[in-house]
Amino acid sequence: MTIFSVYIDDGCITCDACEEAAPDVFEVSDDTCFIKPTVRIDGGFDRNMDQSGLKPEIISAMSDNILDAAEACPVDVIMVVEGEPSESVEPEEAPEPETLEAVPEGAAVEDIEVGEGIEQILTVGDRSLNILFGSQSGNSEDLSAKLAKQAKGYGLEGTVHDMDGFDFNSLSGKKRVLIVCSTWGEGEMPDNAEELWQFASSDAAARLDGVHFSICALGDTSYEFYCESGKDWDRRLEQLGATRLVDRVDCDVDYDSPAAAWALEALPTLAAVDGTGKFREDMVEPIKAHISGDGSRGAEGEDGFTLPTVLADSIQAEITIFRYDPVAACTGKDTWMCALPGHLSVLEALRTLKDSQDGSLTFRDGACDDPNTAISVNGRLVMPGLSRLDSVAPTRDGAVRIRIEPLPGFDVVRDLVIDPWSLERKRESSKPWMVAATREGASTPQGPIGTMDPAAASHLHSVTDYQSQALLHASSDAVPHANGYLGPAVLVSAWARRSDPRISPLRRSEIDELIGSSNGIKAETDLAPIRRQASNAQAISDSLLEAKNATLTRDAYNGRHGKHVWWYTWTIKSSGRVNDTVIYRQVLGPAGLLGNLFSGVTARMVFGFTRTGGNMFNGMLGMVAPPAGIGKMPQQFNSSVENHHEVVAIFNELDGRF
Amino acid sequence: MALKYAYHPGNVAHSSAPEVADTMPPAARSLGIELIPLDGATSCGAGIIRQANDILQVTLNARTMALAESMSLDIITPCAATAGNLHEDLIRLRNDPLLLAKTNDVLRRTTGLTLEGTVSVHHLLHVMVDEIGLDKVEANVRNPMRSRIAGYYGPNMQQEGACGDDDVYDPNYFEQLIEALGGTPVEWESRTQSVGVPGLFSEEPTVLRQAAAVISDAKSEGADIIVSACTLSHAVLDVYQGKASRATGISTNLPVIHLTELLSFAFGHHNSRLAQLRTRMAVIGD
Repeated sequence: MTIFSVYIDDGCITCDACEEAAPDVFEVSDDTCFIKPTVRIDGGFDRNMDQSGLKPEIISAMSDNILDAAEACPVDVIMVVEGEPSESVEPEEAPEPETLEAVPEGAAVEDIEVGEGIEQILTVGDRSLNILFGSQSGNSEDLSAKLAKQAKGYGLEGTVHDMDGFDFNSLSGKKRVLIVCSTWGEGEMPDNAEELWQFASSDAAARLDGVHFSICALGDTSYEFYCESGKDWDRRLEQLGATRLVDRVDCDVDYDSPAAAWALEALPTLAAVDGTGKFREDMVEPIKAHISGDGSRGAEGEDGFTLPTVLADSIQAEITIFRYDPVAACTGKDTWMCALPGHLSVLEALRTLKDSQDGSLTFRDGACDDPNTAISVNGRLVMPGLSRLDSVAPTRDGAVRIRIEPLPGFDVVRDLVIDPWSLERKRESSKPWMVAATREGASTPQGPIGTMDPAAASHLHSVTDYQSQALLHASSDAVPHANGYLGPAVLVSAWARRSDPRISPLRRSEIDELIGSSNGIKAETDLAPIRRQASNAQAISDSLLEAKNATLTRDAYNGRHGKHVWWYTWTIKSSGRVNDTVIYRQVLGPAGLLGNLFSGVTARMVFGFTRTGGNMFNGMLGMVAPPAGIGKMPQQFNSSVENHHEVVAIFNELDGRF
Repeated sequence: MALKYAYHPGNVAHSSAPEVADTMPPAARSLGIELIPLDGATSCGAGIIRQANDILQVTLNARTMALAESMSLDIITPCAATAGNLHEDLIRLRNDPLLLAKTNDVLRRTTGLTLEGTVSVHHLLHVMVDEIGLDKVEANVRNPMRSRIAGYYGPNMQQEGACGDDDVYDPNYFEQLIEALGGTPVEWESRTQSVGVPGLFSEEPTVLRQAAAVISDAKSEGADIIVSACTLSHAVLDVYQGKASRATGISTNLPVIHLTELLSFAFGHHNSRLAQLRTRMAVIGD
């Protein structure tokens, strides 16, 4: 069998088997396999779907390797084309104009004009894009390959050509050409471009009327002749009659960004050259919008797919913002009465006020989901970029009154900007990183990796799925008043680590110690505020509750925290009602009760009747019985609730400890 | 026609807050609410039993709510902590059929009751605004309060679905009520802040700072008095206010009464107590 050509069909899995079998012929990219330009007659660098013939010397030297590669391909996408080179080279070298004749110019133009524009222009007729690279170090070649990939998105069939061995005159039949060329030495062409450049500069070069082009020049500003090669190509193609659609870009050593920006302009502009070779300037912007998705429309109708209305009517808003000037060390509030669109986010409203009213207004700006932007609006802790003006506060008397303050529990730097370092230091002290135990991995196609029960993984994700560390930290009403308290954000993260089945036993016990410390979960005085503020309230408060329960259990309900919970629960079992007296005595003990005597608490209990008009006898009980219950003065022994035995039965059923 | 509710007095009306037990019945009478005692109801757990055994608190509250269901009545309570905890457990049971089945299994074996989840839990404040109407409340006023009053909600009942149609974070039912009772509502930020009741015995320094901050905020906004919708929080705000002042150096002397007292006084019950309160507000200060 004589090989004529080889190409790659759809479905390549990039397994590298072909490259191993014939490295000179195949090159596996990120998502498919290319036939190298050095083995092809057309010098192209793609899957060779046009079945360009292989060079005769390659066929004689590498046929066996190519067949081996085809056999080794596990998905059979390497397609070997049989035939005689002498017969097949001719059609490959046949000039493009034949193809042009296949699509009569007038007919195509008429089609496109009659048609509805973008879809048609991107699909009808010749959509080829020829990308030539002149490369010394490989950068131009890589960039050309990327452009060929990107071109697909614009309805173009990009073919990459190595300048080495490329037939310059074949460009005369082309409609779209991109040249990516670096500069070597003192303004010289790279080695692979030198010969082509010599030809192009000569009188033998064909006219390029009808060719639309743009140039990307790579260079180095530290050299005198910066991007000279690109400039040469740019000048020469224009001299030969080609039409420059997008100005040349000259790229320095860090070429990625300017080259990407140039591509975003060059590709849609060349895509606006229709199948007949006519440049449709009016279609450039629509094509850009089409590709970026801006022009797409969502589903409509009352079928559940209608996009929600984004616009809302203006609302009358009274916006009051907390101000703090660190230089003058003074605080205050500024209020603006304004009419703003209801759909505006709070963050956008702040920007508007800063731009139009007070440039000194200071707040953390950022993306709408930037966790550092969190603030307090009417007592609600929010991400201002995600909170609409008309839903963040209730409308009363036709107006919305919005009070904006910095997150509580943090030092304020200026106006609404908090200093997050107090939280960061606490996070750091908690050593939030993972210290995993040595464990057995599971064998997977990606190699041995550890696995986790899906339910456990899901639980751990849900526990730590909150919008902002700072927001969660500020949701605790104890945080601003408890020095050293780690706060819910640090604790819930630590508890998630501790609950992670992969954690090492040593690290687990360290976290237990941290959570059980005086600055740990015991320092939280009330979980209710966290439950009403946190974005993932149930999972977070449940986790904190688990942490508290585990800590108290480990302490065997000793200490004030444990005793409080224990005796509160015990009094419910014994009567169904809370017995303040018992809890006071058991938790505070004699020293605590004595302390209350001198602090005035006992006095306020005993003389409670003077404030409430209650029974003096009950109050005075506190004089004879040791100060006990919270106040004014409680019955020393509770009467039991009706059917108290049912309560006892529930306790016996569910928790034999009490 | 009178509104009929199963009455849960909260956690401390039977002991350290007898003034709630004294003032709720006459206030309810004036409002046209018939209170049917839930004599078998236990403490709501105040979020404290939960720290020892979550399912235990849920089951005890399920029993209380099943008792109300067996009477075909919804629950009313003057305590925000009770309203919040019962509501929270009710929603959990409604949303978790497995938990409901497990809880009902225990209830059936220990009490013969089962909970369907049809009951609902209301705080007195929300019943007045949403069910009775503030115009009717206003019509009952005999002693307009004529004071600057700071209404304290606390955090427990300010949860989604637990506070009627009021805003969770920026409520104003209390302020509307105060106006209806002839008082001037004080606008203050701390009205939904926690005063740390569950940590009173164990984290007293923090709780005292929390209480001092709340009272101080009301004072700085010009309040003559704080009225608490939470009977548990009242204990901290009232009994511990002197200690909070000494611990923090912040002035905290301000009368703090229960919502039921405010209603009872405004409706003309316990006139001598109202006189005593007015004297204290005018002369003693606290």
